[in-house]
Amino acid sequence: MSERATRAIDEMNPDGVPRKVLFVAGAGRSGTSTLAGIASRLGMHVPLPEVPADSSNPRGFSEPQWAVDLHDRLLKEAGVQVSDSRPGAWFETGRISTREPARIRVAEWLEPHFDVHPELVVKDPRLSWFLGLWRVGAIRTGATPVFATMLRSPAEVVGSKQKYYANKLGSAHLAASWLNMLLHTERATREEAGSARVFVRYEDLLSDWVKTTMHVGHTLDLQSIVHTRSDLIREVHRFIDPNLRRVTSSLEDLALPPRLHELTAQTWEELNKLADPDGDVTEVHATLDQLREAYTDLYEEAEAISKSSVVAARIAGAQIAAEDGNIAPTGLSDRIPHDVRAKIPPSLRRGARKVLGRERATGQTPGDQ
Amino acid sequence: MSVPIGGGHGLSNIEGHGDFDIVWPWNKTENHAPLRRGATAVLRVKNEADSMRFVLPPLLRACDHVLLVDNNSTDGTSDAASAIAATQGLAEKFTGLTYPFDVARAGAEHLAVPERSVHSLAYFYNWCFSHVRTRYSWKWDGDMVLTTEGEVSMADLSWQVGRADAVIRFPRHGLYIESESRAFLDLGLRNIEEWGFPMTPDFVYSKAPEWEIRTTPQEIRQFALPQGLVVELKYLDGDEFAHWTNPESFATSVRNRRKRREWLVFNALNDGDVPDGVVEINAPPGEHVVDHVTHTWLPRAPRPFIVDDPEHAKLHLRA
Repeated sequence: MSERATRAIDEMNPDGVPRKVLFVAGAGRSGTSTLAGIASRLGMHVPLPEVPADSSNPRGFSEPQWAVDLHDRLLKEAGVQVSDSRPGAWFETGRISTREPARIRVAEWLEPHFDVHPELVVKDPRLSWFLGLWRVGAIRTGATPVFATMLRSPAEVVGSKQKYYANKLGSAHLAASWLNMLLHTERATREEAGSARVFVRYEDLLSDWVKTTMHVGHTLDLQSIVHTRSDLIREVHRFIDPNLRRVTSSLEDLALPPRLHELTAQTWEELNKLADPDGDVTEVHATLDQLREAYTDLYEEAEAISKSSVVAARIAGAQIAAEDGNIAPTGLSDRIPHDVRAKIPPSLRRGARKVLGRERATGQTPGDQ
Repeated sequence: MSVPIGGGHGLSNIEGHGDFDIVWPWNKTENHAPLRRGATAVLRVKNEADSMRFVLPPLLRACDHVLLVDNNSTDGTSDAASAIAATQGLAEKFTGLTYPFDVARAGAEHLAVPERSVHSLAYFYNWCFSHVRTRYSWKWDGDMVLTTEGEVSMADLSWQVGRADAVIRFPRHGLYIESESRAFLDLGLRNIEEWGFPMTPDFVYSKAPEWEIRTTPQEIRQFALPQGLVVELKYLDGDEFAHWTNPESFATSVRNRRKRREWLVFNALNDGDVPDGVVEINAPPGEHVVDHVTHTWLPRAPRPFIVDDPEHAKLHLRA
C-alpha cells in the first residue's frame, strides 16, 4: 500500500492498534495544552480543526473546535459556568450528559476521526464537566477512554487566570472553583469499566517532559507515545519552553478565607500524591473523599448564609428583564421569565415562596400561580 | 400540607415482631453520623444465585454500596453474592442481610395483605431501605444487569446526584437466555421504570394494587436514561413468574402490560416461536451470551436505539 511505502523506518504501524481516546482534563491554565500538544506531536491525533492560538497560549491549545463549541452550548443549557464552584453543578452537567441526542452526537463525531488514527486526544478546560458524556462516546465507538489530569499549584492557576483572563471574580471564587473542579475530576476518573488514568504535575512536564510523557504513555498504554519517532521527539524539544511557567506565586499570596485556604492546601497535597509512582491508591482516594465532603459542606454553609444575596440578584435580574421586555410585572414569579423559573430547583422555589409568604395551598398543581 | 409516611421515627409491624420494626435511616444516629453522600443499590432477592455473577460486578463498581436482602432463598443466593463481592475485591462495598418472613406475591395475594404486615411488599421494601446509609438509593432487582454504558452512567450519577431531589428512570430490556451462547433480546416493549430515589422522608414505600409504590412529594425533578443500558435476565428453563400469585393477576390493568408481554415472549420462545420485536443473539465462542450482550452488542448497537413497541404507541395516543 502506498501509505506503508511512505512510512519512516521507525514509524509505528497504526494497523491493528486498538482504538483509544486520551482525555486531558484539569483546570484551565494547568498545562493541559502542553500535555495535549506533546501527545499530538508524538503521533496521537487531535481532531481538526483546532482552536487557533492566541496571546494567552501562543503555542496553541490543541483543542478540537467542535468539542469547545459543544461544551459551551451544553454548559449554557445546564446553567453552569466554566469556573463554577457549586458542587451541585456536577449533577446539572451530568444530567445533560445522559441525554441520548448528546451521546449520539459525540459518538458520531468521534467515529470518522478513527479513520485518521486509532489514538485520539481530546482536550478542553471545560472537558471535566462532561467526562461521562465522552466516556460513553468512546465506548459506543469501541474505543477505550483513558484520562490524564494535569496538576498545577492552585496559587499559580489562580494567578494565571487573573493575569491572562483579566478575571475580576476574585481569588476566593477562583480557588473554590479550582477545588470543585479538581476534587470532582478525581472522583469522575476513578477506575470504571476498565478506564485507566494518570495524574501529571505541570512542573514535571516542564522539567523533564520525556520521563513524564513516557510514564503517561506506559500507564495508559498509548502506542503512539511509547513507539514515537525520533524526529517527533526533536519536534517536542522545540515545542517545550521552560519559560511557559510564567506565573509563580504561593497560596498565601491569595489571602483566602482560612477554611478555604486549609482545604485548598490539603487538596493540593493529596492530589500531588496521585502523581507519584504507585501513588494512585485507595488511602489517598479516601482522604480526597473527606476533602470533597468538607468542601461541599463549606459551600452549602456559605450558600445558606448568603441566600439574601441570591434572592436580591434574582430580583434585580428580573427587573432588568422586565425593563428590557417593557412588561408590567404583577408579582415576582411574573417578573422572572418562565424558562428561568423552570431552571430554579423546586426546593429553592419553595423556599423563595416561603420567604415571600406566598406558599401554595395543598393540592395546587405545579403550574398554578 | 400532608405528612409524608416517612415523617415519624419509623414503622412497627402489626405482627409485633419488634426485631423487625423499622427506624427510618435519617433518624438512625449511630456515631451521630448523618447519611453520607453517595448512592446505595438495594436488591431484594429470592433464588437468584445464577444471576449474581452478572448482576453484582458492574453494580459494585458503579455504586458506593450494595445492600442485598435475601428473602428465604433455597439456592444459596446470599453465599454466591458474598463470594462474588470478595472475588471482585469489593467486599467492603457489600452488605448481605436476611429477611425471614414470607412476602406476599405480586397481584391478588399482595392486595389482600395489610401495608404494615411483615408479609407486605411495602413493609419489606421499607425494612430493606431502612439499612441504607447514603443519601441516594437505587432500587435494583436480582436479575438486572448493567451494560458497560449503563455502568458508567450509573457510576457518574451516583456521585453527582448529591442532595438533588431527583428521581431517575432506567429503561430495561428482557433478555431470555436459552443457553450460555444464545439468548433473545426483547426490543418489542418500551419499559422504563423509576429506580433512583433520594433517601428522605418524602420517598418511602407504600401500597399499590399489585405491588409496592415509592411515594414522592408533589414537585420532583425526574429524568430518564437512554435505552440500551440494562437487561433483565429471564431463564427459559426457569420459573420466571413465581413471584406472581398467578397469570390472572397480571391481566388486570394497563400497569401490568410489561408482565403480560413477558408471559407472551417467554411462552412463545419455549414453544420455538420468536415473537415480533425479539432479536436472537449468539455469542462468539468462549464468551457467555450475557457478557456479549452487555459488553459488546448493546454498547455498539446503532443509535438511536430502536425499541419498536406498537402497543406503547397506542397507549400514548389514547392518553
